[in-house]
Amino acid sequence: MKGRYEDENLKWIPALIALVIVIPFMLKGMTFSYKYYLYILNTVGIYIILTVGLDILSGYTGLISLGHAGFMAIGAYSSAILVDQVGLPFGLSLIISPIIAGLFGFIIGFPALRISGMYLGLTTMGFGFIIRRLIIALREWTQGSGGLVVSSPELFGFTIKGDWANYFLVWTFAVLTIVASRRMMKSKIGRAFMAIRDSEQAAQASGINIAQYKMMSFFISGVFAGLAGVLMAHTNHFISTDHFDNMLSIYFIIMVLVGGIGTIYGAVLGTIFIVLLENLIVPIIEKGLHEMFQVKAGDIESLIFGLIMFLFIIFQPTGLYGMWLKIRIYWKLFPFNPKQRFT
Amino acid sequence: MKRINAIIIISITLVMFGCDGSAGSPGITDNEILIGNVQDLSGPMKELGQIIPAGSNLYFDHVNNNGGVHGRKIRMLVEDAQYNPQKTVAAVKKLIEKEQVFCLYNVIGTSPTEAIRPLLAESEIPLIAPATQSGTMSDMSRPAAEYIFHTDTGYDIQSGILIEYAKGMDENAVIGVIYQDDDYGENVLKGVEESEAEMGITVQKESFQRGATDFAGQVMNMMKGGCTHVIIAGIVKEPIIIMKTAEAMGYAPQFMGISPTMDHRVSLAAGAAGEGFISANFAQLWNSDYDVPKLYRELCERADVPEAMMGMYHYYGFSTAIVLVEGLKRAGKNPTRKKLIRGMETFNNWDGAGTQPLTYNRNDHAGAESVILVQILDGVQTTITDWLK
Repeated sequence: MKGRYEDENLKWIPALIALVIVIPFMLKGMTFSYKYYLYILNTVGIYIILTVGLDILSGYTGLISLGHAGFMAIGAYSSAILVDQVGLPFGLSLIISPIIAGLFGFIIGFPALRISGMYLGLTTMGFGFIIRRLIIALREWTQGSGGLVVSSPELFGFTIKGDWANYFLVWTFAVLTIVASRRMMKSKIGRAFMAIRDSEQAAQASGINIAQYKMMSFFISGVFAGLAGVLMAHTNHFISTDHFDNMLSIYFIIMVLVGGIGTIYGAVLGTIFIVLLENLIVPIIEKGLHEMFQVKAGDIESLIFGLIMFLFIIFQPTGLYGMWLKIRIYWKLFPFNPKQRFT
Repeated sequence: MKRINAIIIISITLVMFGCDGSAGSPGITDNEILIGNVQDLSGPMKELGQIIPAGSNLYFDHVNNNGGVHGRKIRMLVEDAQYNPQKTVAAVKKLIEKEQVFCLYNVIGTSPTEAIRPLLAESEIPLIAPATQSGTMSDMSRPAAEYIFHTDTGYDIQSGILIEYAKGMDENAVIGVIYQDDDYGENVLKGVEESEAEMGITVQKESFQRGATDFAGQVMNMMKGGCTHVIIAGIVKEPIIIMKTAEAMGYAPQFMGISPTMDHRVSLAAGAAGEGFISANFAQLWNSDYDVPKLYRELCERADVPEAMMGMYHYYGFSTAIVLVEGLKRAGKNPTRKKLIRGMETFNNWDGAGTQPLTYNRNDHAGAESVILVQILDGVQTTITDWLK
């Protein structure tokens, strides 16, 4: 059993770690507004943790989820309550809260045993709605839709505060998530997930316990989304139900699709691409439209996202990572490229 | 020796004042003051997001054409955050760190504004007139409260006033509230619960989700509960649909609304069903004969503002812009963020913005705590009370 992209090797990890360490110093040296860019990168890091988990569920196991913002909300609210109301240390909440989100994933895994495709998508979307309503209903702990103020994370006696410190906290977990997920997907668990995705009957015939692995996939994905929620709550210091609307879940799916579904590095690339596009490229396009044609761009962001998804699905279904692999193979074989392979 | 000491003291003083005047003033140049605004230009409140800054720019253009504030023209940058708290944080980060704005103004929405409190505290940047009437904005016990200057009367206060008014109209009034189940409704409920405790009454409560278009269930429950007075905590389309639904059911209580329902489109669209609808308002009516509304209409005419744009929300942008400009004037010729905060805290019953008189001091940033009531009579919005507390 092989992944869709066999070439996802580990040599990129040291390069990624080096890049993660160097980037903030580069930004600080290059621009006075480095804090803004660090904030964007922190968002990228948090979303990567979630989309990698989503990719394990949707890309590797073939189970669609349109409610991952709900798992993120569970992680965020659990940690905010455990740390600020119950008084648990942040380090402990960092372990417990993602597990709580994972357990919710486990529960959602039950219907996944009987339904699939669009119906599963709708069920998970419903889960997202239910979580928002649940948060509002539990207003004694969550302050309802008014939102919750969250403290800064404290680890080993140090309070982590500000974009600079948040960056290293978030990216430590982002890198760990990437390494752990990649490792997991190369193991027996990952192979079982892929077998289920490719053919449930064949997987069952090979002795794979479908129910167990499907629920495990939901659990793992929920844990990652919960971890992302914990980091988001404690680095942003405020959470509300508006933070976790269902559009966010759709964006996560777009990130995974654009990056290349069924590949860990693809989820990473897709997340970087979409978040940077949203925060850095779209404003430039909007400004350009406004200055050149006196057009008020309005909802241009949704238009661009829709267009990108549309173009990727039609012309590049393997996503950015697939595109990168094609380019690499092209140069390796140059000038003996079989033409039909690259058209 | 004395002369040398004097020179040293004067030099130190000048250096200290110099630091205060120049190094601490991002967004201030010799001829410009840059301010940041975060609106919803493409989300659920995009209609308001387009109109409110247009109203603000109407006044800023007027000020700029008359020489600006202490010789500096005001330029407003508007970021779109789609009423999303996470996007609002990113937008405010951009405005503070990248665009280096002097102050923030009119950030829309309760949860988006709550989400940026840590940024206000970190950058010590004032936020003038957040575009939400939630009472939490003027709660001085919340983080970064010292940087927020609220111009609107809180939803909690408004709901309390409406309940009291209903009881004044009819002491046997059975009151119900239909509220949006979000941060807005949350604050309305706070006021309702306070009134319940204070007056020893029970208010029937029915919620709806943001964006809902069917209110038959809520109206039916109000009718079953025998409510004679129904308070609507919605925005524009909700009161219209609720009153039309009630009319279709043959149910005719006295409908009342929190200030976002004061939009004149309610009277236009609700027609006969909206006749008699009472709404709270924290500003003078934009089409009334007071000085600021007159100036507003004059500038609208001069700038050829389309009639569809004129109204409560456009006027809201206009009047809050007046508050900001007054604050900037009071910050002095060499403004800093601290001086703007100090300047705002000198407002004492100041009534130049076409709103109710505003008062701020170090311990109170609420600005306003009263409303006037406006009723639709013969299809026209008419002020029926003085400022009620």
